[in-house]
Amino acid sequence: MSGATGALRVLGDDKVVAFAPSADATHPDSESPHRVRIIDGTLACLARHGTAKTTVDDIARQSGVSRATVYRAFPGGREEILGAVVDTEVARLFSALGVCLGSAEELSQALVVGIVEASVRLRDHAAIHFLVVHEPGIILGHLAFADSDRLLAIASRFTAPFLARWMTPAEAARVAEWAARIVLSYAVSPSPRTDLCDPSQAARLVHTFMLPGIEALQAAVARPIDITPHRPGLGRSRN
Amino acid sequence: MQDVRQRIVEASYACVARRGVAKTTVEDMAREAGMSRATVYRTFPGGRDEVINATVAWATLDFFGKLFERIQGSGDLEEMMERGIMFAHQSIIEHEVLQRVMETEPDKLLPILTVESNRIREGIAAVLAPYLTERGLAPGVDPDDAADFLARMVLSYISAPGRWDLEDPEQVARLVRSELLAGVVVPARPS
Repeated sequence: MSGATGALRVLGDDKVVAFAPSADATHPDSESPHRVRIIDGTLACLARHGTAKTTVDDIARQSGVSRATVYRAFPGGREEILGAVVDTEVARLFSALGVCLGSAEELSQALVVGIVEASVRLRDHAAIHFLVVHEPGIILGHLAFADSDRLLAIASRFTAPFLARWMTPAEAARVAEWAARIVLSYAVSPSPRTDLCDPSQAARLVHTFMLPGIEALQAAVARPIDITPHRPGLGRSRN
Repeated sequence: MQDVRQRIVEASYACVARRGVAKTTVEDMAREAGMSRATVYRTFPGGRDEVINATVAWATLDFFGKLFERIQGSGDLEEMMERGIMFAHQSIIEHEVLQRVMETEPDKLLPILTVESNRIREGIAAVLAPYLTERGLAPGVDPDDAADFLARMVLSYISAPGRWDLEDPEQVARLVRSELLAGVVVPARPS
C-alpha cells in the first residue's frame, strides 16, 4: 500500500513536462516491445483489484506474458510498473487533450472540447474508478486535496501553451489552471445539475462563467503576476 | 447525552492531535474523556471509526462557525468572499492538527474529508445564496447553478491555491472579481 502510493507519487512535474504532445508517450524507450502490453494489463488488474492486491503474477497473466518478460521490461518490478502506468496514463490524457486543443479554432471551443475530453476520460477510467472507491487514500490526494496543487500545476503547464494563442502566457497559465480546477471538482463530486461530459452542458458553463471571467482577468490592471505556485495547500509542509 | 457525545469528540480530537489517527484507540479516547470504554461504545456503536468521523464533522462545523463570524458585516458580496477566502485559506494552513494528519496519514483522513467536502460545499453555497440574490445575478444565470459553481471553486482555491497568493489582498480581490464572480453577478459598479 505504501509502496503503491510511492509509485503514484512518481507523477512529478518534470516527468510530465518531458512528454511532448506529439511524442508516442506509450513508448518511453525501446527496451521492450512488451511495455505497453504490460501497462495495459496492469490497468486491467487495477480496475479489478486495486494496487494492494495486484501482484506481478497477476500482471503477467493478464498481459499474456511470462513473469520473466515482465521483469525484463520492468526490472524494478511492481513499483516500477505502477510508476510507468501513472506516467503513461498522464501522457495519454495530455496527448488526447493536445489533439483537441490544437484543433480548436476559437477560445470557447478550446475550453469546451478540453473540459469534455478530460471529464470523459476521468469518468471512464476504470482503474481510477476502482481506486476512488476501494483505495481512496491513494488517489484522492491527487484529485481532491493535498497534492492537487501539483496536479493543477502539471495540467496548467501542459495545456496553457494551447490557450496562449488567445491570451498572454501568464493569463493562459491562470485560465488553464482554472479549467483544471473545474474538471477536477466535477469529476471528484459529480453534480446532478451539470455534467461536464456533455458538450452542451460544458459549453453552458464555459459561456456563463468562464468567458466573462477571462475577460475580467484580461481587463484587470495587472501588476506583474508571479506565475509559479508558491502557497502551501492542504498537507504541505509549511515553509 | 449530547454532552457525553461532545466530550468524547473533543477527547478524540485531543488524542488525534497528540499521536495521529492510526494510534488513537477507543481506550485512549475513553481515558482522555474520563469515562469507560463501554460509555464510548454506547454513544458511538460504530466505535473508533464513528468517533473519528464525528470528530472531523465537529472540526468542520467549528471552522464554519468561525468563518461566519469573520464574514459578518461585510459591505458587499465581493468583500464577503474576500474575507471568507482569506480566512479559510489561513485557517487551513495554520491548522496544525489537520496539516499533521494530512502529512503523515492522509489515507486515514482523505476519504472522510471527501465525504465531508460535499457538506462543506453545500454549506458554502448556502452562505452565498442570499448575497447572490441581493446583488442580482447576471442575465440567464440560474441561482442554484451559480451557488454550486462558486462553492466548488471556493473549496478548490482554499485547499489548493495554485497560482494565486491567497495571503495577498490584491490578488484575492482580483480572483473574486474574475474567475469567481465575473460571470455570475451583475457588476458592482457599472463600468
